[in-house]
Amino acid sequence: MSTFKFPVINPLLHSELRLKIMVALASLESADFTYLCEITDCTRGNLSVQIATLKEADYITVSKTGVGPLSHTVCHITQKGRSALQVYEDGLRQMFDERVPSREAEESKKSVN
Amino acid sequence: MDNQQELDIISSIRGEVMANRELTGENLFLAWGYPTVFFLIVEFVALQVWNEDWCGWIWAGIPLIGIPLMLYFVNEDYERTHHRTLDQNVIMMMWVFIGFACCVGGFAMGMANVYRQCLFPLIGLMCGMGCFMTGIILHFRPKTVCGIIASALSAVPLFLQGDLWHWQLLVTAVIVIIALIIPGHLFRRYVRKSYIKQ
Repeated sequence: MSTFKFPVINPLLHSELRLKIMVALASLESADFTYLCEITDCTRGNLSVQIATLKEADYITVSKTGVGPLSHTVCHITQKGRSALQVYEDGLRQMFDERVPSREAEESKKSVN
Repeated sequence: MDNQQELDIISSIRGEVMANRELTGENLFLAWGYPTVFFLIVEFVALQVWNEDWCGWIWAGIPLIGIPLMLYFVNEDYERTHHRTLDQNVIMMMWVFIGFACCVGGFAMGMANVYRQCLFPLIGLMCGMGCFMTGIILHFRPKTVCGIIASALSAVPLFLQGDLWHWQLLVTAVIVIIALIIPGHLFRRYVRKSYIKQ
């Protein structure tokens, strides 16, 4: 029997939109609301909810300038967020690497039978 | 979402971010280059006409014009692209440091009365090094080459001492043209061409 332990998956990053936001911010120095909307292909309302969740977890920082229609929201990833994303991605890769050999073993068993 | 899908999302977003990165900062070299050359020439002329101590501080006008222009162009770039990459941040921080080093070094040398010996070689060397490193980071060869030439020329003012020291200003203006204005125009043309392609 395999002794592989599944890594604990971070529930905050186990959401498509939040994951997209974090990956985009980790690849850049900073990005504003409009850019994140375009790259994640989501609505402004949904994005603002997810940004608030990530901000609450200290994964990103949000700076706002201006008021009303002229306001400008810029997001930066924090060190905590960067390391959480790294751990999450490593966990996924670990699980994926574990699954691929076991699938191959199952397929070879079937072919033998 | 299974882990295969999540890994796909990570790589696709990374790829999209990399593909959508836009070249920016095409006006920053010019925003610093033209005021620097202007004030150096004004200082040279003022020293030729009046030759008084206050004329030696005209260069301090460079950051007064350069900093607002830089902030304007940085904001304009951000409004256009809506993001800033790590490379752009490194380049900006490097030039801010170079600007501060030149200003602080200039004031310190003025106070220590070694302004005539050391200031202009320092400015030339700083501009040349900044241009060289920017070229390396952006993979833009003209900036790298101009940076090397400007850094090499920054030694020339060291040989213009005594009565000839006013000429250091003109040599430094030439160094700034090589380090900032020529690569600035070449980079601007390159960035404009890349827009047209997109």
